[in-house]
Amino acid sequence: MTAPTVAPLSALLAEVAAGTPTVAEMARNTGLSTDVLRAGLDHLVRTGRLQATNLPIGCPPSGCGGCAAAGGCGVAEGGNSLVTLSLTRR
Amino acid sequence: MSVTDRTSLPLSLITPSAKACCRTDTGRGAAPTDPVVALVGAPNTGKSTLFNALTGAGVTMGNWPGTTVEVSRGLWRSTAAEVACDCETCTCDDADGRLDITLIDLPGTYSLDPHSPDEALTRELLVGKPAAERPDLSVVTCDAARLTSCLYLVAQLREQKLPMVVALTMGDVAAKRGVHIDVSALARELGCPVVEIDPRRRGGLMALAEAVRDGLGRPAPAPRATPLDDDDLALEDDRFAWIAHVVDAATGAAAQNARTWSDRVDRWVTAPVVGPLIFLAVMWLVFQLTTTVAAPLQDLLDDVFSGPVSQGAIVLLSAIGLGGSWVQGLVVDGLIAGVGMLLTFVPLMTLMFALLAILEDSGYLARAAVVTDRLMRSIGLPGRAFLPLIVGYGCNVPAISGTRILPNARQRILTALLVPFTSCTARLTVFVMMGAIFFGPYAGTAVFAMYVTSILIIIVVGLGLRSTLWRKEPIDPLVIDLPAYQVPTIRLTASVTWLRLKGFLQTAGGIIVITVAAVWLLQSVPVTPGKNFAEVPVSDSVYGVVSSGIAPVFAPAGFGSWESASTLLVGFVAKEAVISSWAQTYAVAEPDNHAAPGDLGAAVFQTFTESSGGHPVPAALAFMVFLMAYTPCVATLAAQWREIGPRWTLFGVGMQLVVAWTLAVAVFQVGRLFL
Repeated sequence: MTAPTVAPLSALLAEVAAGTPTVAEMARNTGLSTDVLRAGLDHLVRTGRLQATNLPIGCPPSGCGGCAAAGGCGVAEGGNSLVTLSLTRR
Repeated sequence: MSVTDRTSLPLSLITPSAKACCRTDTGRGAAPTDPVVALVGAPNTGKSTLFNALTGAGVTMGNWPGTTVEVSRGLWRSTAAEVACDCETCTCDDADGRLDITLIDLPGTYSLDPHSPDEALTRELLVGKPAAERPDLSVVTCDAARLTSCLYLVAQLREQKLPMVVALTMGDVAAKRGVHIDVSALARELGCPVVEIDPRRRGGLMALAEAVRDGLGRPAPAPRATPLDDDDLALEDDRFAWIAHVVDAATGAAAQNARTWSDRVDRWVTAPVVGPLIFLAVMWLVFQLTTTVAAPLQDLLDDVFSGPVSQGAIVLLSAIGLGGSWVQGLVVDGLIAGVGMLLTFVPLMTLMFALLAILEDSGYLARAAVVTDRLMRSIGLPGRAFLPLIVGYGCNVPAISGTRILPNARQRILTALLVPFTSCTARLTVFVMMGAIFFGPYAGTAVFAMYVTSILIIIVVGLGLRSTLWRKEPIDPLVIDLPAYQVPTIRLTASVTWLRLKGFLQTAGGIIVITVAAVWLLQSVPVTPGKNFAEVPVSDSVYGVVSSGIAPVFAPAGFGSWESASTLLVGFVAKEAVISSWAQTYAVAEPDNHAAPGDLGAAVFQTFTESSGGHPVPAALAFMVFLMAYTPCVATLAAQWREIGPRWTLFGVGMQLVVAWTLAVAVFQVGRLFL
């Protein structure tokens, strides 16, 4: 485990920019706890340094009723979706 | 009893004052001389619940983000005594130990940064006003289960000369999650009192009252030192470093960094080299289990459709005078042979969907997404494209629509062009059938090989497009927060399985029935004069003649027979129709074989043997590769047309045909040297 960094947000931004795909891997790389990293990600999204994008997996805005493939895609129930984060320029 | 005014409070009304007298009038509002205490905190930290518990009534409670959207004000008749004040019976003018406090419930906010109206208002009230107009003290509610997220606001408030008390809520939730907070250590590190409370059960309210009264009587603690740097990020970094330190001290660094067994498993499952190998092994196991376990059930259903169902239909039709007519041909050789053959795949699809649902529910598929994403990034494809492509392995249509998640048009086009190479479940049925006919006990491995080939095609074609048409596209980073592994639930597994199976059955009951009818019609219309409708050999029908016209194109790939070529034509409509059309072709060609299970396989094998010059296995492999790589279905084309326009759709169709034909020829020509 790496020693915790004194600049968590900067480290987090560097991890995102480097393409580290998971929070757990970021925790291994930075020595920060996953809680701090998640809070940091939330903060960076709120402040506009990261952009969070919902991944609706192709469902139309009208829901499954408007989709020819409804029922076959496996995402008709629930409604939760993944979120991706990407860096934004400030 | 306490009194609450729930209004949009003008900032001018927030006038801090002190008042230490209990009145007899139970309906009294806040007096100008009462001390003012502000309740602040992140949304969903129990702030409104605490406000209600302290003031008695008025604010809507709930666990919905943004409940507190306006400022509420109430009278908190605080007491440090063991028994809470009952103002309806209280008649004292100057009760010992009682303090009336004007309590202000500020909007829920994560920080004092004015990124939203709520935050701007909170900032204005707490630090924007002159010191004399600010609240006398702030109570900051913090969710113990989300301590880190709540502390940014505390960090900012500690940079001001403000008396404050931290009220720690949701201790029970935190305990369930294994988070244990050392309250005294937390207070020491924060530099302000911390009180554990449970406002829903009125727990800790006396201690909170005591801490507030104590805080009101003391000067504000010295503000936390901050870096002199003007850079916003440096200041925010300093706050987060402080938060990390505070959380470590309050919860134990070891506990914070303790690796769960999920973390340990993920270390391997998402590793750059081992991760993809595990993913491939898991998928191989899924296909092997599916084909092995479902095969007997599939044979049983095949027996039922080709035996009792077909015979029963013939008997019924004969009974009403339609025996031997074209109606019997349509029903028995068309619908029952075609749709029935497709329905024999229901056990297989059920098992496949159930296994995938289990993988999904357990959390493994999220890890597979990481593996896929890493692979895509390593070859220079946009990271986010992994999701539409994964969806494509279920069905290409929503996957094409899913390309909308990509940030720019060129990335959407690139991904939409790659999606048709993902092997959807419709193609799976054909692979399973071909696997059973040509590879026997290795059917699962053959199907698995097709999926691996699909991934390889996506990589190669993707790289090709990246290095030509998409050379200058940037690659966006992607972060996934992996859920913890969990034991799959029967309810969810059954629900997802049924949902997907229903989609398969709807396809079989809708477009496949229409396709079967159309194929039957084309097989019934004679091309040569002198033949009657529905009494013509398939090879002399419109269907047979057109198929014979294109069959030579596939001769270099070893499946240049009209029977095989015709299924590929029908496959443009939907890949499930490949099986039904095969069943129809051989049922019509050999109409006496209804009760002979397995004859379809023998007939297909014979056709491939003849068309390949005695190399049926490489020809079958080439056929499967072609089927996997060429245009999936008309619905996918329609989705592409809608998402990326006609020009790119037609480009895609051309590219798919070229890739599919080239690969099929290569597979057959190389394969026949060895097999």
